[in-house]
Amino acid sequence: MGGERSPRPLRGRLRIDILTEGELDRIHEATMDVLESIGLRISSGRILDALAESGARIEAEAQLVRLPRRMVEEAIARAPSTYVLAARDPLWDVPIGRGEGYLSLDGCAAEIEDLETGARRPPTIADLTLATRLADAVNEVAVLWPSVAVTDVPPHAQAVHQTLVQLANSTKHLQAMSTFTARDARAVIEMARTVVGGSRALLDRPIVSSFQCSVSPLTYEGDAMEAALEFALAGVPCGFVAMPIGTATAPTTLAGHLVTVNAELLGGVAVLETLVPGAPTFIGPYQAFMDLGTGGIDLAWGPEEVLFKLAAAQLVQRYGLPMNILAFATGSKTQDWQAGAQHAISLMGVAAACEADLIAATGTLYGSRVFAFENVLLDAELFDLVRHLLERCRVSDEDLALEVIEAVGPGGHFLGQAHTRARMRELWMPRFLDRRTWEEWEVAGRPEPRDAARDRARQILAEHQPDPLPEGVEPELTRIVESHEKEAKGAGR
Amino acid sequence: MTQVDEGIAALAEALLVLDEQRAIAATRELIDGGADPQAVLQRGLADTMLEVGRRWNAGELFLPEVVAAAEIFRMCNEIVEPALIAAGGRTLGHRVVMATVKGDLHDLGKNMVGAMMRTAGFEVHDLGKDVAAERIVEAVRQLEPSIVGLSSLLTTTVPEQRGVLAALEEAGLRRSVKVMVGGAPVTEEWARQIGADGFAPNAPEAVRVALALVGDERLAGI
Repeated sequence: MGGERSPRPLRGRLRIDILTEGELDRIHEATMDVLESIGLRISSGRILDALAESGARIEAEAQLVRLPRRMVEEAIARAPSTYVLAARDPLWDVPIGRGEGYLSLDGCAAEIEDLETGARRPPTIADLTLATRLADAVNEVAVLWPSVAVTDVPPHAQAVHQTLVQLANSTKHLQAMSTFTARDARAVIEMARTVVGGSRALLDRPIVSSFQCSVSPLTYEGDAMEAALEFALAGVPCGFVAMPIGTATAPTTLAGHLVTVNAELLGGVAVLETLVPGAPTFIGPYQAFMDLGTGGIDLAWGPEEVLFKLAAAQLVQRYGLPMNILAFATGSKTQDWQAGAQHAISLMGVAAACEADLIAATGTLYGSRVFAFENVLLDAELFDLVRHLLERCRVSDEDLALEVIEAVGPGGHFLGQAHTRARMRELWMPRFLDRRTWEEWEVAGRPEPRDAARDRARQILAEHQPDPLPEGVEPELTRIVESHEKEAKGAGR
Repeated sequence: MTQVDEGIAALAEALLVLDEQRAIAATRELIDGGADPQAVLQRGLADTMLEVGRRWNAGELFLPEVVAAAEIFRMCNEIVEPALIAAGGRTLGHRVVMATVKGDLHDLGKNMVGAMMRTAGFEVHDLGKDVAAERIVEAVRQLEPSIVGLSSLLTTTVPEQRGVLAALEEAGLRRSVKVMVGGAPVTEEWARQIGADGFAPNAPEAVRVALALVGDERLAGI
């Protein structure tokens, strides 16, 4: 491979706490400094006014809000550490804050790989319908994002059309992650209320949630923050996600990058919890870096990606806030060595670093830009593998199996033992990792795991019928979508 | 249903759920009660092993369960065999002689193949491990099997497979029997090189190859 001639070992072991308490303190202090003295830009006079009344220092013309440290810390303390992301089918309810991590679909891919032709093309409502239906059938997927950004509806009505498709094609919890305005939020809330039977019912069982993204560095669109408040007032959990690009919209160093991400996320939580105390929320520090050569997003997903994830996880856990973490991300264009390696390393990082409540996001390739159906199944397999890995090694008498070891004795085998039969089904079994002999693989035409996953996706889509919405609900949802579309168009967006 | 039919059904059921004690008790009761040993062997045991094979093929059973079934089959067969011989009856379908070759103590793979062969209706005679070529030749002479299966795990014992083929040739028995070879280091190329008739990389494939070698029509079902 060139370079210096010397063997390259793995040195030491993975230290799960990659930041010391002292280093965490420094990042926290720096974050508080940023919020207190530099501030966030939020382009909403209404929100700035409300924050001023609560003690924030506002610079109205620059749309800046500086948040006193006490205000931020009190706000964090107000955020509930546990709540439930309810689902239309209660069996799919997702508990937050229990030390369990649930996988979501990826969201809003700009393109889709056609399941039949393999061609990359703009996605449609029909595609989102199929993607949602597939996710409904895959047990590892617990939370729905709109997998693709549908292009056959007006852009200003995308969020509500997507919500309709998701509500109608799955009974799982959905996260309306492309709801960018208060008007969008109101429509999504109205749709959710229609499904669960009113505003009281939605407070009790929020079958939708949302999150808003900062515009790095240190900015929130006023519309986005108003949407967050709209959701919070309706009892719909609303998180904050930051995805700055290191070197471009965040400092190039990991520690500096962490500080801006932390400031954006804690700032979002501070605004929300100050204006709607006790609103269920979460934070998602996502990692991205710039390709130094081209200025695009670095699709190679290097060690910085993993380091950032580990450090950010440690930081979020310190605040006791529910967390969303980015696990499945690859720059690969197909489910190949690169995709497998990036997904596996990333997911192992998540498993080693934290107990994030929400794990994003399955289904896409090429830096989350292209959705392909088989990805959901292949990622689910890796997720299932790591899930088993985290069950750890049990050491009861039954597990030690001393009696069985004695019964078999030196030179025998354990195949015929009742203990083997009683316990062997606990062993993990792959669905797509290839276990065939070389000969069988040759005869089958040298297939790759993704070929089997694609076949399985086709089979699921042909067979799986999600539970339908209650009688009469869908026409009402369609009415909401149409009226929202008209209203939004009239308002010029 | 006659009493014998009921007994055979009980035996089949016990074997299928891998209840060793119940299967042995049922076999003993049948044989002691004077049931036709050929019927006990065929309908009670061999047909049930076929069902075990079908369930393995459908992914309902795993290899350890097939191995356990084969072991119960062997124990029950030991009760049936004396009665069968006394009655002058013939046994099952095609006969297979299996052995791990001389110098090699690894017999697990061979045992798995033997278990799977029983699920396909073969009558398996297992000579064990570290078996000298002369013993294999002797067994072929006496048992007149359709197939001889040779296993080795070590690269150092694989050449012994060639030695067994030479010994069969020398004894004038090579043409009367098909020889299959297997084991982790064994390849199709090696099988061809030494003039073996069949090779399989794992137990299920060994059954397919064996059925093909004896010209069995059930290939599609296994």
